[in-house]
Amino acid sequence: MNPTPRLSRTEGGSRRRATHDPRWMRALLVGAAFLFLGLFLFVPLASVFAHALAKGIGPYLETFQDPVTLSAIRLTLIAAAVAVPLNTLFGVCAAWAIAKFDFRGKQVLLTLIDLPFSVSPVISGLIYVLLFGAQGWLGPWLAERDLQIIFAIPGILLATLFVTFPFVARELIPLMQAQGRMEEEAAMVLGASGWKTWWRVTLPNIKWGLLYGIILCNARAMGEFGAVSVVSGHIRGQTNTLPLHVEILYNEYNAVAAFAVASLLTLLAVLTLALKSWVEGKQAASLAAASAATSP
Amino acid sequence: MSIEVQHVTKRFGAFTALDDVSLKVETGELVALLGPSGSGKTTLLRIIAGLDFPEPGGGQILYHGQDVTDLPASQRKAGFAFQHYALFRHLTVFENVAFGLRVRPRATRPDERAIRQRVGELLGLVQLGPLAQRLPAQLSGGQRQRVSLARALAVEPRVLLLDEPFGALDAKVRKELRRWLRHLHEEIHLTTLFVTHDQEEALELASRVAILREGRIEQVGSPETIYEHPASPFVYDFLGNVNLFRGRIEQGSVRIGGVRFDAGGVIGSPETAALAFVRPHDIRVTRCGKGQSTLPARVVRFHTVGPVAHLDLERLDDRSCVSVQLSKEELQDLSLQVGEVVQVEFRKVRVFSEDYSI
Repeated sequence: MNPTPRLSRTEGGSRRRATHDPRWMRALLVGAAFLFLGLFLFVPLASVFAHALAKGIGPYLETFQDPVTLSAIRLTLIAAAVAVPLNTLFGVCAAWAIAKFDFRGKQVLLTLIDLPFSVSPVISGLIYVLLFGAQGWLGPWLAERDLQIIFAIPGILLATLFVTFPFVARELIPLMQAQGRMEEEAAMVLGASGWKTWWRVTLPNIKWGLLYGIILCNARAMGEFGAVSVVSGHIRGQTNTLPLHVEILYNEYNAVAAFAVASLLTLLAVLTLALKSWVEGKQAASLAAASAATSP
Repeated sequence: MSIEVQHVTKRFGAFTALDDVSLKVETGELVALLGPSGSGKTTLLRIIAGLDFPEPGGGQILYHGQDVTDLPASQRKAGFAFQHYALFRHLTVFENVAFGLRVRPRATRPDERAIRQRVGELLGLVQLGPLAQRLPAQLSGGQRQRVSLARALAVEPRVLLLDEPFGALDAKVRKELRRWLRHLHEEIHLTTLFVTHDQEEALELASRVAILREGRIEQVGSPETIYEHPASPFVYDFLGNVNLFRGRIEQGSVRIGGVRFDAGGVIGSPETAALAFVRPHDIRVTRCGKGQSTLPARVVRFHTVGPVAHLDLERLDDRSCVSVQLSKEELQDLSLQVGEVVQVEFRKVRVFSEDYSI
């Protein structure tokens, strides 16, 4: 005979918990979430492709033979190719310094890294116009030397660099702070040089966080509109990036071309999301391993 | 390979972690750095390893008579085991142990076959051979600590430095590893310095113990010396397992609760307030005091663990606690009752004046 039949029955029988809501409530909440996402995300996303393919695949593909479109694609790729590596390098250096060393002005540096996030992108663009524009502080000096930054490619690169500045650093700082310096110290005591410690210990520990930051940085570098718009001057075939090109085409009532180019950016976004969730999964797994490795 | 610490001073901001500390560990010795948390023992160990550095001009570290004060950790060839192991989480047990060999400059790096052999030997030594391909996250705490020891030994270190090596482990594993380390030391005779806050661990393992207090060394000596002849009230207090009586020093003896006890030598200034320490096994309990030097106390409780009996008494005058240790037979002969009053005698008492410090 079971000495405590009532207790065992309550434990095994019903799975009700205090936090479980009734079935209709759950259905309502889940339904509302899906309805909202469908209306505000999926329908617009689908409409991009619907508009782009409104006149068939021919006109859609024709858009990408237009030299002006091709030059916009090229400029977007150049901007990303410059901004992503530079900001990766900077982000790693800043995160390394902040997470592993104590120095004066650490808080100031942290705040500065966040600045591009807290400033409106239009203002970021405007800063460069005020600095390097014809009427700007450095304008006359640059004009004398025949250097053009604003309404030219250097301006676009600078603006892209500025707005994508925090992504990698912001991603790595908490990760590196959580990991501490112990493994680096262990490597040093074992005779590893600073360089070898970085390649064999630090980098493997941060690689998923780093990749995550790079993906976000790249998505923003290719998709940035506001800051680039201010400094670009919208010269067709010369200083137009993809997002700016979409705007111009749309304003010219060239819906098919505008949405065709937009579909390219949309595909980029979908690809970024897929990559991002894959990396996130990897990162969560490595973080779980890390916390298991340090807890006794 | 001996380790010598000469007049080392270290500050963190306004806090003085180490204040003019000198210590010598002879070749092949196993020495414990014992102290409460914040006493500077880990800082001293890190300075010896080259992970921290003394203040400019604040002392020297010598390995085998050679000044290594300015040498970075990577060139000191010290084996270091961290309190929380600091294993490389992305590397297998095998690669963790092999790390120190793989990062050597090409000229001195052993070939793959030699590395495999050496790592295999070490994993055998720490009894982890079958787990070579596991990741640190898949190991228990005791196994991780053994990996960390194998990793430290792989580079053939000149000295072995262990920071609270068993601090994060449960009591049983701790005992096992302690015995294992003792055995290992007897086998390879590597000069070893380990940090601990556990007096039992220090007294059991070490051939000599250095006791730190607030960045200074309070006493260095063999476990017997430290236990039998603590140099200061702090050491008595820290080692624990002792009764403290407050009294007054009078003409070389001590007066506690109106009763004079022969102190057999007093340390510190005469004719002042005194701290008298008596170990529980140096107390004799009788029904009626034979001499004059007895204190009356009431029996609060008693219990026996194996052959040893513990007796808790309460002094009648100030109601403070006295703990007594005696054999099971002695307790049986006394046939005490809880609540009855007995007389307390001291076989051995150590007296310090209250203002005494090293």
